[in-house]
Amino acid sequence: MRFVDLVSLILYNLGRRKGRVLLTAIGVVIGTAAVVVLVSLAVGLQKNATQSLWGINDLTSIEVYPGYQEVMAMEVKGGGGGGGIYGGDTGVKYLTPKAIEEIKVIPGVKQTIIHDYMQASMELYFGKLMSWGNIMGVDLTDLADMGLEAERGTTELTKGTVVVGSWVPQNFYNPNPRPGEEMTEPPDLLDQNLKAVLIKYTQDGQEVRRTVSLRVVGILKETRGQADGNMYMNLGEVTAFSEWSRGSRIDRNKEGYSYLIVKAEDPDVVLDVADQINALGYMANTPQSYLEGINSFFLVLQIIFGGVGAIALLVAAIGIANTMTMSILERTREIGLMKAVGATNRDVLSIFLGEAAGIGFVGGLGGVILGWGASAVLNVVALSYFASQASEGGGGLPSAAAATPAWLPLFALVFATIVGLLSGLYPALRAATLVPVNALKYE
Amino acid sequence: MDELTDNNVFMKIRELTKIYSMGESTVNALDGVSLDIQPGSFTVVMGPSGSGKSTLLYLIGGLDWPTSGSITVADDQIEKMDENALAEFRRNRVGFIFQSFNLVSSMPAEENVGFPLRFSGVPRSNRKARAQAVLAQVGLSDRTTHKPTELSGGQQQRVAIARALINDPPLILADEPTGNLDSHSGFTIMKLLADLNKAGKTVIVVTHDSRMRQFATDTIHLLDGKVVSEDEFIKATESLTQTIEEQGDQL
Repeated sequence: MRFVDLVSLILYNLGRRKGRVLLTAIGVVIGTAAVVVLVSLAVGLQKNATQSLWGINDLTSIEVYPGYQEVMAMEVKGGGGGGGIYGGDTGVKYLTPKAIEEIKVIPGVKQTIIHDYMQASMELYFGKLMSWGNIMGVDLTDLADMGLEAERGTTELTKGTVVVGSWVPQNFYNPNPRPGEEMTEPPDLLDQNLKAVLIKYTQDGQEVRRTVSLRVVGILKETRGQADGNMYMNLGEVTAFSEWSRGSRIDRNKEGYSYLIVKAEDPDVVLDVADQINALGYMANTPQSYLEGINSFFLVLQIIFGGVGAIALLVAAIGIANTMTMSILERTREIGLMKAVGATNRDVLSIFLGEAAGIGFVGGLGGVILGWGASAVLNVVALSYFASQASEGGGGLPSAAAATPAWLPLFALVFATIVGLLSGLYPALRAATLVPVNALKYE
Repeated sequence: MDELTDNNVFMKIRELTKIYSMGESTVNALDGVSLDIQPGSFTVVMGPSGSGKSTLLYLIGGLDWPTSGSITVADDQIEKMDENALAEFRRNRVGFIFQSFNLVSSMPAEENVGFPLRFSGVPRSNRKARAQAVLAQVGLSDRTTHKPTELSGGQQQRVAIARALINDPPLILADEPTGNLDSHSGFTIMKLLADLNKAGKTVIVVTHDSRMRQFATDTIHLLDGKVVSEDEFIKATESLTQTIEEQGDQL
């Protein structure tokens, strides 16, 4: 039997039982649409989650913090008594210059960048506006070396200058607003001087103020990460402010630095490097390990959602099997006739399998279109809802509630067809192996 | 074995037995039937219901397997063929005609006639032309696009005969071809079969209708799965009728 004849006969057979075929296909339509919508929803949720959490450009970064885990473990063992975290030889793994050397020699590490918070109270003034800043000292002269880019201005640090994260201007506010005054617009800080007032208290409670002028030479692009809230400054200057505030020198060999950004040579080795740093007793976080956690969670979500849809499809499959079984009973004499005029078992099998797959395909096609449409409607409804929420409460807007990846409709269509084919397998095998004379005599 | 190479015999049937098992009991539908069918013959198989005549026809046509015995056509033994070889045998060497026509009710006459050609891989356009030619041969060239429901019983059976002829098989097997027809249409069908026989086809007809005998070159009588002579056959049927009458009197 030629393939065209097979296909035309299958289409003919489906066509002469339109009503029943369509009713059976509706089950498949619902199942396929459920798979498409639910998986789209899971993919959409995942997109929103990963989009809002991390920038995409720091996949080689590892944040390394001092290792406190062992101390806490020891404290639990020791019954909670004795030395605090900062007391002497507690086993805290501080990020001392020696520790940094230890990390630098790990294979795959390209660069380590020291970060240290300014340890002093500070008020920031810009004209009438006021803010609290978070000054971060880094041992770099150019922030571009750790992958940060300037939105405007420069990324280079010199004496007395700061480069600020994208959200810093938004933190400025008017401390003495006139009644009815509007919220202040974020000021343009580029190439302006900020007045930083450092405050410390002497032993007898006397307040001592020191005013420093900081020139903003650059504003960074948004990273959706920690950098957005930082005001970067030369490490040496920050250390000097911290020491002034404390009134004594800082021994880095004992206290170490706040944290490190470790850059790996390649995104592929990041997790490996992070594991080795953790093994040394420090705490290493990577966006990747975070992303991996999120992604595996959403993979499970997709499988669960897809599974719910698949149950609907399973019910539809039973419907197809039922329709085919009925159809074969009704057409038993016809099967006998086909065999009498020379159809092989394979011909009969192909015809009935083809009809079952055809029902699956028709249903799958309808389901993909319905699912797609439903996802689109869901997006419109959800986005207008989010938009009304966002205008009240502020915050970022999700790009879409449901996202249908290109592979999904294709996969759903193929899957529905295969489901049809498999449902038809048992009835078709029964039809193919009928003894012709019994089929012809069937009443 | 020398018999098998005898060119004057179209089909040799030897010790053919078919046993149906119905639960615990078994039925000997055919019980050691041996026959020779000559090429170009018109064989009429007669017998009462349950005599095994239809079973014989289906075994000859390769629609069922015998329990034992052999059927030899040319040099091929049908009972030894596998599924695919049997399908090929049914497609190219046998044309079947049934009592209930077995037409696909939703297809017009020409598609019903061309239906077997789908399984022989003949392209669509070619199928149509050949179907129309065969329909003309059975006198239905003006009914090619009619569906079976739009045709009379006799016309439907003629469509079925056209379908049996479409692959030009040497053997035509007919199972009670006039059983569902009025006597006039039935006679037309008989004459059509006789014409085919004259044109060279070997024809085997299973029937109750004794009018068929006037066209026959051979007549076979079957009784309880065995071939019997005409005398035995008449005696048996008479005694059967008598028993029935007696039972009727008793009632």
